[in-house]
Amino acid sequence: MGRWRWLVVPLLVLPISWLLFTGLGRDPRTIPSPLVGKPLPSISGTTLSHGPWDSTSLAGKPALINVWASWCAPCVTEHPLLLDVARQHAGQLQVVGVLYQDTPGSALAFLGHYGDGGWPDINDGAGRVAVSLGVTGPPETFFVDAAGIVRYHHVGPLTAEVLDQELPAIGIAP
Amino acid sequence: MRRWTLPAATVGLAAVAIGILLVAVLPTAPATRQQQARALAAELRCPDCESLSVAESRTAAAAAIRAEIDEQLAAGRSPADVRATFVARYGEWILLQPTSPFIWLVPIVALLAGVALVAWWLRGRRSSRAATPLPGEVEAAERQRIRDEAELLDG
Repeated sequence: MGRWRWLVVPLLVLPISWLLFTGLGRDPRTIPSPLVGKPLPSISGTTLSHGPWDSTSLAGKPALINVWASWCAPCVTEHPLLLDVARQHAGQLQVVGVLYQDTPGSALAFLGHYGDGGWPDINDGAGRVAVSLGVTGPPETFFVDAAGIVRYHHVGPLTAEVLDQELPAIGIAP
Repeated sequence: MRRWTLPAATVGLAAVAIGILLVAVLPTAPATRQQQARALAAELRCPDCESLSVAESRTAAAAAIRAEIDEQLAAGRSPADVRATFVARYGEWILLQPTSPFIWLVPIVALLAGVALVAWWLRGRRSSRAATPLPGEVEAAERQRIRDEAELLDG
């Protein structure tokens, strides 16, 4: 009995430190996306140019689904990168915007100011497309491969590193 | 008799706690579709606010989720199915309560383990104290050594 008494300290300290280490290291704001590895949920809506849009139109080509808003500051930072990547891979990569809790007027003003890449932007006024995608807040970007499988879900503004790292996963050489 | 009072009280308390938790965790199924929708909304976390349920929140995302719940229930899907679709999109994160009811037993198990650990430690301390000689009780050899050293000092 007495021989094992020293075990009390590690038995108490180790579980508590493990709990604190794993618990405090986690960011309560990061949410793992369960959509990665699964087909993109079918989404549809009306674009800013008033045309109907359906995710079936994505079939056969890799796509970036970018959730954004004109009121979202990080969206301004990532916008030039999106314009670049769309221009660079025109013909191979589709870019689709999903407008998050925004009005068409402010969205069009944003595009007029920061540059319009010419891709469809879905006016998700009621937020139903965002709910289908499990979006928590813009900017968020879904990397979808040619087979329609979500390969990566990026929460926060896109960076050149993220694009370089994740585009090959959907068959685009950066 | 007395040595059983503490374990018996601990087990009794644990049983009461488990009973209360089971009543809290296993709610009776709500009857109408509206009640079902409300119950579901209360179980889901609002995506664009922190620590509020979809039922309590007034944000656009919460409204969109409530609309989707209504639509899916109206389409004849069961509350469990509707919950599963939200988990498939947002992950378990969207649920305010963990899915496994056993998780509620963790604090009780941890408490019992802690009580056992402290009891074990106290017992070990008592037995090790019994092994050491009481103050004033000096062994014969030690007494002899002290006497010899004293003589040496006296010269």
